[in-house]
Amino acid sequence: MLAQPVATAVHLRPKVTDGMDERFAETDPNKGWDIARHPKVAQTLKSRRFQFALILPNQIIFWLVIFLGLLGTVVPGLNFGTAITWYLWFCLVFVMMVVVGRAWCSMCPFGGFAEWIQRKAFWRRTQKSLGLGIKFPKSVARYGFLISVAAFLLLTYVEEFFNIAGPGAPAETSIMVLGIVVSALVFFLVFERRTFCRYVCPLSALIGSVGAMGSVAGFRTRDRDVCVACATKDCMRGGDSGYGCPWYTWPGSADSNLACGLCTECFKSCPSNNVGLFLQKPMTSVIAPRRRRLDIAWGVTLLWGLVLFQQVNATNLYASFDGWLNRITSLQYPNPIDYFGIIFVLAGLTAGIAWLVSRLGSRKVGNAEVTSRSRFRSFFVPMMYGIIPIVGADYFARQLPKFFKHVSRLIPSIGAWFGVGSTHSALYNTRLLSDPGIVFVQVAVIAIGTLAALWASWKITGRDLLPLSGHSATLRISVSLVVVACGAAAGILYVLMHAAS
Amino acid sequence: MTTFAPVAEATSAHRGHNKEATLNQPVVDVLVDRCAGCQDCIVRCPTGALSMDTRRWVAVADSELCVGCRQCVRTCAFSAITVDGPMIVGPRIETAVVHVEEPLGDNSEIRQGISDMKAAVTEANRCLVCPDPTCVRGCPAHNDIPGFISALREGNLDEAHRVLRRTTVLPDICSRVCDQALQCEGACSWSLAGGRPVAIGALERFIADTVPVPAMEPTSNDGEGMSVAVVGSGPAGIGAAYELAAAGANVTVMEKNDHPGGLLQWGIPDFTLPERVANRPWEDLVRSGVDLQLGVDVTPEDVDRLLGEFDAVIMAHGASQALRLPVAGADLDGVEDATSFLTRGREALANGLDPTTVIPRRTSGSNASGSDAPTVLVLGAGNTAMDVARTARRLGAGAICVDWMDRRFAPVRPDELEEAADEGVDVRFSTTLDHLEGADGKVHFAHLNHTRQDGLGETPQVIKGSTETVEVDLVVMAMGYRLDPRFSDKLGPGIPVRRQVIGVPDRTWQASGIMSVPAPPAARNRPVGQLSLGREEGLNESFLPARDRVWVAGDALIGPSTVVEAMVQGRRSGRAVLAARPRRESVTVPVDLPAKRVLVAYESRGGKTARIASEIAEEIERRANSVVTVRPLAQVRTADLAQSDLLVIGSWVEGFVVAGVGPAKPTLAWFKTIERIGSLPVATFCTYGVNPRKTLDVMKGEVISRGGNVVASAAFGRRSTSSDVFHFVRQIVDKARLQLAEPKPGSDAAANDQPVREVVR
Repeated sequence: MLAQPVATAVHLRPKVTDGMDERFAETDPNKGWDIARHPKVAQTLKSRRFQFALILPNQIIFWLVIFLGLLGTVVPGLNFGTAITWYLWFCLVFVMMVVVGRAWCSMCPFGGFAEWIQRKAFWRRTQKSLGLGIKFPKSVARYGFLISVAAFLLLTYVEEFFNIAGPGAPAETSIMVLGIVVSALVFFLVFERRTFCRYVCPLSALIGSVGAMGSVAGFRTRDRDVCVACATKDCMRGGDSGYGCPWYTWPGSADSNLACGLCTECFKSCPSNNVGLFLQKPMTSVIAPRRRRLDIAWGVTLLWGLVLFQQVNATNLYASFDGWLNRITSLQYPNPIDYFGIIFVLAGLTAGIAWLVSRLGSRKVGNAEVTSRSRFRSFFVPMMYGIIPIVGADYFARQLPKFFKHVSRLIPSIGAWFGVGSTHSALYNTRLLSDPGIVFVQVAVIAIGTLAALWASWKITGRDLLPLSGHSATLRISVSLVVVACGAAAGILYVLMHAAS
Repeated sequence: MTTFAPVAEATSAHRGHNKEATLNQPVVDVLVDRCAGCQDCIVRCPTGALSMDTRRWVAVADSELCVGCRQCVRTCAFSAITVDGPMIVGPRIETAVVHVEEPLGDNSEIRQGISDMKAAVTEANRCLVCPDPTCVRGCPAHNDIPGFISALREGNLDEAHRVLRRTTVLPDICSRVCDQALQCEGACSWSLAGGRPVAIGALERFIADTVPVPAMEPTSNDGEGMSVAVVGSGPAGIGAAYELAAAGANVTVMEKNDHPGGLLQWGIPDFTLPERVANRPWEDLVRSGVDLQLGVDVTPEDVDRLLGEFDAVIMAHGASQALRLPVAGADLDGVEDATSFLTRGREALANGLDPTTVIPRRTSGSNASGSDAPTVLVLGAGNTAMDVARTARRLGAGAICVDWMDRRFAPVRPDELEEAADEGVDVRFSTTLDHLEGADGKVHFAHLNHTRQDGLGETPQVIKGSTETVEVDLVVMAMGYRLDPRFSDKLGPGIPVRRQVIGVPDRTWQASGIMSVPAPPAARNRPVGQLSLGREEGLNESFLPARDRVWVAGDALIGPSTVVEAMVQGRRSGRAVLAARPRRESVTVPVDLPAKRVLVAYESRGGKTARIASEIAEEIERRANSVVTVRPLAQVRTADLAQSDLLVIGSWVEGFVVAGVGPAKPTLAWFKTIERIGSLPVATFCTYGVNPRKTLDVMKGEVISRGGNVVASAAFGRRSTSSDVFHFVRQIVDKARLQLAEPKPGSDAAANDQPVREVVR
């Protein structure tokens, strides 16, 4: 009698491992940078309560935001809901994404809340989930992070329409947050895993792409051969101690931190203890990935268009144009035609410049790698990865005025619960920096972002674009000029915005 | 060795034909966004339509090579592949079913096999020879189905038999009596894709009917010098006897009836399983030297006596206690159970006896239809009920089957139902017996009620005022069987074992794709993956001893099941006996005992328990002639226990000083996933910070309630030393009677007793 009759009958085809080491050489983190090697860290990450402990404080804060926004004072600067959301939280999220990556996703109360309900547990590993568990339709899923970008564009329009982030009436912030919670819940109950976070969450593409600058590589394989040989893939399917990756990421092949939600499930479920939590050099996930994504490239382009538009939006020139357009279209601010129109024009302009570079830089003689059809994509995608630092810096710089002008209001807004906060208090009116000081910091942030983008683009050009080109000097100069132009545009716009205000 | 070549030829030939006719080619689409390049689909694609794009590290598909089996769709953990379009496979062969014009006295086999080699090869060519064949998982015996089908394609039926013999000793019987739709064929790739499966049962039968099933051949000498008693000669007894006798053991089989075969003899009529086929295994076993003792009824009290006479006992006595419906009139003359009816009916038909000796002719004239034939009311509509009703028809009686379940939800075989209806059996679903009415102490009327059942799993409800009266001459209760409770009590807790998956299903099964399609139409919309994995749990249990030197197999272990499951369990329990090689105390002849297999399982949080587990393992290996495996508790399943002779379980202690102190919750959760530990010797230990309190008692209780025998316990605190570990291991070695290891040159046994180093600080 056979001891292993099933195994005897199984004749799997051989797995492809040729060239695997080289394929991941640039993106694999240094083996020594695995912080989960430390027993205490490992113990913490193994604990199913860890994720709950991360989410819980934010959960409390955002339910407070919802309730206090609806029931608290109508003075935006004195209402805790609006104060913490717009003066502090948004800034913190950007800092976290630039330093860590998807740190916010690991503690996000919106997905966290919906996931508790989907799993019918705060931290336990349950076997049956609540809801329909439908797979996200292929026809939509193929747009990847572009769905998230579209959601972000829509959300910013709504936010602009109601002046929510101004901040305007606190109740509107509450309703917006509640709307996100309800949307998340609906998606979690209809679709499987974290379909909402992976595809639909308005912040997902922004955090994913800007987070690529982060120094946390995420959960990755310790030994790829073990992962490739693994017959069970508990990290994907779910094991005894952990769920299958909610983000559709396999530690065995992840080459960036783009879709690692730092949820620790793969670390918990791996039966071979072959998953680590790795640090990496800053910008690695911008520069090194071999598998560059078209949806991310277009996403970065659109996000760049949006943030530039938000700057343009604050200039006198735009105010005149918008006023004129509103008069002839009988619409009100924000006029959707110029709102989305300018975003798409700016994004299109950026893509057009990339097209020009592709024409300028590509070889005239045939190259098996580059056909006329794929030429644009071959240049456009790496170039857009290269400007990620500027896009990230610009979004961050956009949040700075609210932080420097009003973050101290957080204290009187907490005091307001006890009837001691007031608009007359010193803290309410304290500014950390003057307006010129803020502009200086903003321009400095853009300058740092531009320098980082120049460095990233130099590296990316060297590895990805030069093999496609016969004009290396021309290509390097033109790519660098594009980066500098982007940085200059953002920097100048901040000065113009200041002049306008 | 299986080959992929014939598949490629067969499918490409078919595709060529298809191309001319239509453009209906499957289209494979890999969603690059989610494909992680894990290659689970690539290694399983039967036709090689998938390959790796190593630059992007994603799977890429060549739709031209795809036949639409959708194995890739089922196996992808991230749902990154879709296949649209048809399945490219030829029509399934339909085997003949003999239409019996006049059932009276007819005892010929109803279901026919494949008639010729050409037809068999045509059907065999429908098989994709899947690299990860789900049919193999669906088959309870795990026959290498692609293996024997490949041999059949090549016309090498001897090789096909050789492949089958590795896993089954009853290919001729199983191919006739198995409900393949819920087993191999239900789990066929075509079936899981929504199509018609390969006729695996018919192909197996073709092999067994065309070339005689080979006689037993010695496989090893593992059992030499060992005597084993097998109680029961049914499929489980046959499996056990084959396994043991082929390994050279002296096997004595005790059968209470005067004919061997158990259920194969008294439970399955000749028209389904001809007597010559049913007798074949025992003719072979007796020729091979198995001592078959007929007419020996073994009671639970006899087990201890048998243990004095034999080195091991395998209880394969089946589950033959018929269920009876407790209704008024059930004690009337003319009310009997299926076993006795089938036994008498079989004998009457085989010997051409007067049918009235089995079914008395009515004495009160003709019935409502004007016929003077007696009417048999059969309670139930399952396998046994169908056999009873069809036997009754062959004995010249009218037969009515009643089942209280709705036709849509009743677990019946449609083919069997069709055959019974063809033979004139009146099958009435949503009907139940209210009570029986007699005349002169003999049953005469059956009062039936109609029922209503709206959903699967719902208990049918009797519709008030729907009573109908039927005139009957004999009532046969064929609702099923159960274990004799006297045996279950004697053989320890947890018997009969449940065949259900507790916890996360085995991920290798998930990866194969068998779990992805919960209820394929070809499996009558039943959860074929869950059923298969559930059976696996039952099969693993047959490795575990119920008591010291006693194993249980077949229906005796899991309750009424199938011939193939019983046979495999018998083989597994035989294999377990050969691995453990137990000896009764009276045997003084020195024997070469195998090294004991020790499993050290731990639940560790901070690494302390894991460290001590590893210390214990090292020490056991040093002291005793053992093979020690160390594994996290969460990774230990019944199958692992089944491969062990001694289990050491360690857990950290949960709680705070005095509040909620006990074994860690994951440890308790693990116990819940394990139904039986059998009579395995178990040592338990825990690691604690302040005070373990009753942790060890709780663990002991959990072990004992599952039949285990705790031989040693220890709690290791902050100040415990390696000396404590040594003492614990010494206790284990003594109590579990592990064979001491040969002292290694230069080693000092006394040094073992000295504290060498701190284990836990």
